[in-house]
Amino acid sequence: MQKSLNNNVCNENRFNALFNKYAKDLHHFLYYKFGDHLNPKDKVQDAFIKLWQNCNTVSPEKAKSYLYTVANNLMLNAVAHQKVVLKHQKIKPSEHSNESPEFLMEEKEYRKKLENAIANLTEAQRVAFLMNRVEGKRFKEIASLLDISTKAVEKRIYGALKKLREDIEEL
Amino acid sequence: MNKEELILKWLDNDLSPKELQAFEALEDYESLTKLAKYSKGFKAPEFDTEAVLETTLRGINAKKSTTKKWFQPMLKVAAILAICLGIYYYTTTLDHSFTTDFAEKSSIELPDHSLVHLNAISKISFNKKNWNTNRTITLDGEAFFKVEKGSTFHVKTDAGTITVLGTQFNVKQREDYFEVVCYEGSVQINYNTGKSILKAGDSFLILNGKVTTATTTFVKQPEWLSHISAFSSVPLNKVLEEFERQYHVQFDTTNIETNTLYTGKFTHKNIDIALKSITQPLQLSYTKTNKTIILSRE
Repeated sequence: MQKSLNNNVCNENRFNALFNKYAKDLHHFLYYKFGDHLNPKDKVQDAFIKLWQNCNTVSPEKAKSYLYTVANNLMLNAVAHQKVVLKHQKIKPSEHSNESPEFLMEEKEYRKKLENAIANLTEAQRVAFLMNRVEGKRFKEIASLLDISTKAVEKRIYGALKKLREDIEEL
Repeated sequence: MNKEELILKWLDNDLSPKELQAFEALEDYESLTKLAKYSKGFKAPEFDTEAVLETTLRGINAKKSTTKKWFQPMLKVAAILAICLGIYYYTTTLDHSFTTDFAEKSSIELPDHSLVHLNAISKISFNKKNWNTNRTITLDGEAFFKVEKGSTFHVKTDAGTITVLGTQFNVKQREDYFEVVCYEGSVQINYNTGKSILKAGDSFLILNGKVTTATTTFVKQPEWLSHISAFSSVPLNKVLEEFERQYHVQFDTTNIETNTLYTGKFTHKNIDIALKSITQPLQLSYTKTNKTIILSRE
């Protein structure tokens, strides 16, 4: 009985639980992958709405990959394969407040370079790298979110790091 | 431990204190930490799970009601279909009718290639839909029929119904004047007070309630088809009515006796000749003014 009840997500509580569990990560995944201009938040909503409409056919175990696939496809439908330029949020740590103008200038330049370098990463690299660096996620978590092996995550992140350094130094 | 492994462990936040020392000793240490520090600036915007869940649920509820809304467009489609079907049904079952005006003659081919010739001021109507099983024509006026063989053919008039199986006949039904002439085959006439069967060459006439049957001289088709109206012993007023239909004129008959019987013909093509062929035998004279013709004794 228990099992058959759990076989789909057509239950508001279960659906809400799934939402709380996956929505944020899904949003960040979309954001890092496609940037902000295609409104990842809407796609998250649309993916969950679609999950609800098809709740009979999707088991809770499949829900995560279902959501990622749907959201990704929604994005791909909207994307015109532009370069993803992520906005650097200028939250300056307090220690920087009385830095010299030269330093501020340098810092600004560095951020610009980093922005370009991140835009030049492959989608896979960018997603894995930012999930790790920004969200502070362990390799294992990223691997389970993206349904790939830990080894692949390592490779992506290390590749991203290498490429970023190369790009920044070159510039 | 090589550099790559160290960096990976650092990335994964998995450095032991000893490894951390080794990492800090790396020549890349500074640039790596700098990169790491600035990368944090690319944080995705805040995602308020609660709020988005709420709007998502609202979206779901909206979608739910939109799933109900399919019913409305379906209703529209159904309504349009119903109207179309109604119009289709109405027009296909509607009787087809043909009318002729003053001085006008017309030929109509029926769905089974039977021919109907309509004389002036006459009207037929019939239903195309089940023509093969139900050949019924409603007639008001005068018409000549050439009926193809097939199921029973009915001609309904106010004065009676003519039933045939494939023949040629003429029906003339005017105010208290009902005449059927059979030219080929035979026809059966059911009228108010009885029935009568006509053979080829027979004619049947009800005039002011009086039934007369006669064998006419054999002709192939009614003479009006050759633009001539022929009468034998018909009261003058009936003749003049026919004249009015053919020429679209009015007779003033206040000075003459209109019950006089007339036997003769008039043409539909020349009003003066036609008038003479009526007036001369009856010793009448006429004066034409516009559309009115005054008849008077000579």
